[in-house]
Amino acid sequence: MIEASAIETELLAFVQREVFAPDVPVTAETDLIAAGFDSMSLVRVLLFVELTYGLWIPERELNAVTLRNLRALTGTVARLLHGQ
Amino acid sequence: MLGFDHELRRGGFAGNSCQIILELGSAISPDALKTRLANLVKQYPILSARPGGVFFPRWNSNGNGVDAPQICVHRDDPALRQQIFNEPLAINHGELLRFDLIQHEDERMTLIFTWMHALMDAPGAEYLLALIGSAGFAELPLPAARFPQAPRPKPPLKERLKSAWKYLDHLDEFCKFAPRAIGSRHPEAPTALNYRVEKLSVEETEQVRSNCARYAGVLGEAQYHAAVSVLELHRLHQRLGCPSPSYVLPFPVGLRLKGSIEPMFSNQVSMLMFQFLPDQADSLAGAVGALKTQTCQAMRSDLLDSGRTLGELFRFLPLSIYVAVLKHGLRGEICSLFYGDTSAVNPQLTTFLGAPVEDFAHVAAVTPSPGLGVIFYHFRGRLRITILHSARVLNDTEAAEFAANLKQRLLNP
Repeated sequence: MIEASAIETELLAFVQREVFAPDVPVTAETDLIAAGFDSMSLVRVLLFVELTYGLWIPERELNAVTLRNLRALTGTVARLLHGQ
Repeated sequence: MLGFDHELRRGGFAGNSCQIILELGSAISPDALKTRLANLVKQYPILSARPGGVFFPRWNSNGNGVDAPQICVHRDDPALRQQIFNEPLAINHGELLRFDLIQHEDERMTLIFTWMHALMDAPGAEYLLALIGSAGFAELPLPAARFPQAPRPKPPLKERLKSAWKYLDHLDEFCKFAPRAIGSRHPEAPTALNYRVEKLSVEETEQVRSNCARYAGVLGEAQYHAAVSVLELHRLHQRLGCPSPSYVLPFPVGLRLKGSIEPMFSNQVSMLMFQFLPDQADSLAGAVGALKTQTCQAMRSDLLDSGRTLGELFRFLPLSIYVAVLKHGLRGEICSLFYGDTSAVNPQLTTFLGAPVEDFAHVAAVTPSPGLGVIFYHFRGRLRITILHSARVLNDTEAAEFAANLKQRLLNP
């Protein structure tokens, strides 16, 4: 069973590397949309989750709450993984 | 971008240039602007470079003694803006930028900043304008002119060729239902591009945002805008009696990391090409669904990278052949509609040399075929849509009707 903390670490490393510039401070609690996260950023993250965990997050799980920050998104990923 | 410039000039148009139009609450001093520009050109010699290179395009810098971009001052006239939009830049003489200031009777001023698209994209231009306009006030940091970090090592040529071929295979699939542009319906019209800007109020913008979330999901604004544009394009084709077997939309994807403007003088955009069949373009759900499915497929297949690789591998070709190769991909068409979505205008553009910025518009050239384009952007929480058209494809009445229908569809899908 994958720990939520491990998922959060992976997601954070991914967005710091592939989405945000190096000098943009991003933590698990950073407001993603306020920081510039857009639809293509979301697709990139969804594909990363699919590649890493074999899970495609369905659209019904994606909303302003689950995408508020990476911690919230991690919660969704962990819940869906553990429910599989 | 250079290929499109060649295609436009070959057809008698002004070239592949873009504009940012600032409506200023008060006048600015042309001399102050001139001084600021002269300083910036010294810091960034690329601003007065000439496109050159024998096999591979590159900028040939003047070195010492460069001239600052031209600043023209005009009295207001109804036909002036379209005239300035169709005034070509003398790129072979190093004119990559131009500033036109329009004086109004009530002491306000309009600033029209024209630049060669090959020099930079819209976010780069917005930042450059904010940089110029901040002189003497809250000075903005000067970004690197070129790539600030070492670029990622390129894969071997064999892999790059395979990647490029993948993109060509992708376009080949589109050719099963190759698109057909509206065509030159007004051949007697001048070779000119025209534009109009639809302005939505704060309340209307909120209504569109609500529709975006409802029909395209969270962060679905660009997808909603694109889907509605395709819907209205399909309606337009039907109204004009020239239905197309499909509609191909180049969907721009910004490549800069969020929070960075570097490299400023570059087009950091790649295109994902999407195809919509008529039954998909008949309904919003169909268009949004097709867009989302194709986005995921394209990203899974690394088509963003394939498209860039293809462009890089072909850049040694003479421009006329480059454009011919581009058109060959879709059996004579480049796309059905040019589409841009630059999101929120740079929030640092609040004043320009001390004058308050009261309104903003993006304008950009489109190639003679399809001769139609739309740009979406937000200025201080209000949605703006610029509709661009060749005078030979749509006359002003037809363009106004298309624009009005597009706005209505966004508000009431």
